[in-house]
Amino acid sequence: MAAVTTTGQKRSIGQIIKRLLLLDLIEGLFLTFKYNVRALYEPRDGGNPNQAIYTEQYPLERPRVSERFRGAPRLNLDPENGSTLCIACDLCALACPVDCIEVGSIRREVRDGEKVNKKKVLTTFIFDTSRCMFCNLCSEACPTDCLELTQSFELAVYHRSGFRWDREMLEKGINYVRYTK
Amino acid sequence: MQEEITKPRETLLDAEEMALNMGPQHPSTHGVLRVLLKLDGETVIDLDCDIGFLHRGVEKIAEQDTYAMITPYWDRLDYVAAVSGDLCYVEGVEKLLQVEVPRRAEYLRVILTELQRIASHLLWLGTHAIDIGAVTVLLYCFREREEILKIFEDFIGARLTAHAFRIGGLWWDVYPEFETRVRDFLKIIPDRITEYETLLNTNRIWLSRTVGIGVLPAEEAINLSLTGPVLRGSGVNYDVRKAQPYSAYADFDFEVPLGENGDTYDRYLIRMEEMRQSVRIIEQALDGLPEGPVMAKVPKVIKPPVGEIYHSIEAPKGELGVYLVSDGTGKPYRMRIRPPAYINLQSLKRMAIGHLVADVVAIIGTIDIVLGEVDR
Amino acid sequence: MPEILALLIAPDWVRSLTGERPPNVFWAEYIVWPLIQIVIVLFVVLTVVAYLVYFERKISAFIQARLGPMRVGPWGILQPAADGLKLLLKEDIIPIKADKLVFSIAPIISVVSTLVVLAVIPWGAAWATIANVNIGLLFVLAVSSVSVLGLVLAGWSSNSKYSLLGALRSSAQMVSYEVGMGLSIIGALIFARTLSLSGIVEAQRADGLPYFLFQPLGFLIYLISALGETNRAPFDLPEAESELVAGYHTEYSGFRWALFFMAEYTAMLVTSAVAVTVFLGGWYFPGLDWIKSNWGPNIYVLLSVAAFAGKIAVLIYAYMWFRWTWPRYRYDQLMELGWKWLIPAGLANVVLTGVWYVLALPEAQGGVFGFVKQTAGRYVPTGYGKIYFILTGFIITIPLSWALLATINRRSRDFNLHDQRQLQIKLRSERIKRNEPVAE
Repeated sequence: MAAVTTTGQKRSIGQIIKRLLLLDLIEGLFLTFKYNVRALYEPRDGGNPNQAIYTEQYPLERPRVSERFRGAPRLNLDPENGSTLCIACDLCALACPVDCIEVGSIRREVRDGEKVNKKKVLTTFIFDTSRCMFCNLCSEACPTDCLELTQSFELAVYHRSGFRWDREMLEKGINYVRYTK
Repeated sequence: MQEEITKPRETLLDAEEMALNMGPQHPSTHGVLRVLLKLDGETVIDLDCDIGFLHRGVEKIAEQDTYAMITPYWDRLDYVAAVSGDLCYVEGVEKLLQVEVPRRAEYLRVILTELQRIASHLLWLGTHAIDIGAVTVLLYCFREREEILKIFEDFIGARLTAHAFRIGGLWWDVYPEFETRVRDFLKIIPDRITEYETLLNTNRIWLSRTVGIGVLPAEEAINLSLTGPVLRGSGVNYDVRKAQPYSAYADFDFEVPLGENGDTYDRYLIRMEEMRQSVRIIEQALDGLPEGPVMAKVPKVIKPPVGEIYHSIEAPKGELGVYLVSDGTGKPYRMRIRPPAYINLQSLKRMAIGHLVADVVAIIGTIDIVLGEVDR
Repeated sequence: MPEILALLIAPDWVRSLTGERPPNVFWAEYIVWPLIQIVIVLFVVLTVVAYLVYFERKISAFIQARLGPMRVGPWGILQPAADGLKLLLKEDIIPIKADKLVFSIAPIISVVSTLVVLAVIPWGAAWATIANVNIGLLFVLAVSSVSVLGLVLAGWSSNSKYSLLGALRSSAQMVSYEVGMGLSIIGALIFARTLSLSGIVEAQRADGLPYFLFQPLGFLIYLISALGETNRAPFDLPEAESELVAGYHTEYSGFRWALFFMAEYTAMLVTSAVAVTVFLGGWYFPGLDWIKSNWGPNIYVLLSVAAFAGKIAVLIYAYMWFRWTWPRYRYDQLMELGWKWLIPAGLANVVLTGVWYVLALPEAQGGVFGFVKQTAGRYVPTGYGKIYFILTGFIITIPLSWALLATINRRSRDFNLHDQRQLQIKLRSERIKRNEPVAE
């Protein structure tokens, strides 16, 4: 428990003199002037809190996105044969708090060597990014590391229909316009 | 009540009292708060808050979602302190499940929530200052807040709506540079707080705009059931971290700053001091960070036993509580949120009447509301 | 005063243009050269005003750890052009319930009244001044105060409560700060003994020191009142965005809004120009006479204009610097500062300066010290006189006025407005309970 210094106390002589000399105002002016002067000569890397200018010039300068970032969804493919990793188990759709995932599947006979298995096969996968709140629960529920939230974060589209990502888009990702300096 | 305000009454000098609609679209009502003011000249003589523009029915939604699915909704209550919201809910469910969370997870939770407290207070300071006209402080605050958000992004994967914790612990363990990143931040933040104070603390304009504005005596603050810095500004020593230590807070040494006069300036000083105390807590937690797992053994499908609990934490804005009733199924029978901002907002009328329009803005700022939490 | 009238001489090439010879120079002096000057001044000032917005944005950005406009042209240098174009092409919106005529006239009044003042500002030595009016300073104060009419009309005609509050605030504020501004100048006029702006510059040249050294309190009051007069932070209450959305221009958009913006920045330019003229020595700087005799009259005039511009730039930077550093005053505090501090301090400054000046006169004129000598028809302070005026200004006038006002205002602090308002509100609610009218 610590009482902060409040204004209940009387001003000391030093404070009165400070006020008379406008030092309380000048202190602040000095600080902002220091920033203004530093801004003129210091390097501007962007995003460095120790430099006078913090701005990252976004579309020209790409932001650093962390590895764990939860952005646009992606359906991963098997790196060996290029087929989807999704087993159409519907766990992601069940885990989703906002019901933005629709998994379409059919039961089909799949030949695996000699044996013929009856297996659920993914047909469609619809992901509504306009409703998604990027909580990662679907990705955590996925048993095969198929559904993943990636680092791309530019999800703006011109029409509402563009928010409904189908399976093809989820596997390929969207095309971005990249701006350069 | 609103009719009473909009109905003009005759005053002296044949002038009519004016009803002024402040919000829901107004630069300084911090979202979609509508404040209906009755003015005599510029003096506020009556006031009514109209809330609910951001109502999403989170409590009702929770009744149809499983326990794990509710956590992300808590990010969206107080969206400038999402991690604190997560902590409240997750600990509530753990209490219901009677799960022991690993020490490491608890320490990491403390680090993250205290960082979140600093971030929330920085945002509060910036917006409060811009309400009173000091624009530059906002940008400085956002610069430091950005550092916290970067740490969050690297740790949790999101900057604002964090979804930081899972029931039973954390999803991720720390990343390799986590400790150095946090320590770097802790190194710069005290100096930066001093910088904001240089701009504001002794500035005569800031003093004249905050000292004696919105005075709330301790007794009334208690009667209004206020919590957080608004309560402590009136000198009442109540901090959930000290009163009912949750998580790992009992392990740390920190002080609870208290005000004397209960005015806007005291509440400002308290939040500044709280940021410094948060720095102390984070330092201690980093020093004593235990090894071990970050996730307890929790069943995949969470079905708490029949029962009910109330759990509350000290969110940046006050006591954030959750009341959970379980009927033994995978979904809560009832979830009730105690949002600190909603309850603290009730003091606006008490504080603002008799002041000028400009002070209403300052007082809304000092209560530190987030409409996501007020409207739920 | 022949030497001041001689200021009006147009450059030689204008006279050769009209084919006139002195002393018969009517067309060159009164028609051709003023028109050229007006075109140049308007063009330069309006461009400068557009770029002031750019510099304001850049300076605020640098202060706030940002970069500011960067996209339109290198370093965003074409931003003012892009902004102007955008504002011109924007939809012209007049609220349905607004008074259309007044709504459209208001920004014009505001901008014209500030632009008219430019005519009498002494931009530089000799032929760089458009009109040397012998009551120039009064003209500036009178005309620039018309601009408040524009703000009031804008706020009233918009038919919006926020605009109305903004207009009320601005009328009260500008009327109060006008007084302090006028009073703060009088001290300097005691030294200059003329109201002509060029004459004041000449007087400072003759006295050898700019008047802010003799008049520190006056200069301070002028700077503060000028901030209030031009609605700049920390006195930007009429447009306080956090309280009144945008104050008097809430309902304005497009080019009408741009006119208000232009008026604000031109007013800033004008008030700093007056401050430079009255307190900072105007276009004169030491060594200018040497330049005139060695480098020729034209370079002399151009350098004097540059000096004037440089001094204005310093003041305008200070304006922007203040705006981005300090919080905003509240309405009643602004009034308190104006009426309880600035105006009495201005009066005290006038009285004290008068006393110091009379004491400094030679004994023959009723003075004591004889620090002021009459040379070439003017009273000029001697070397000791300069030190005497500086010392009295800094060491006696400021602390004495401060002590005086602090004592008086300490008493008025007991007069607690907040408690009074609370009492009124209590009585009001009691009357409402008894179902009586609120008024007595």
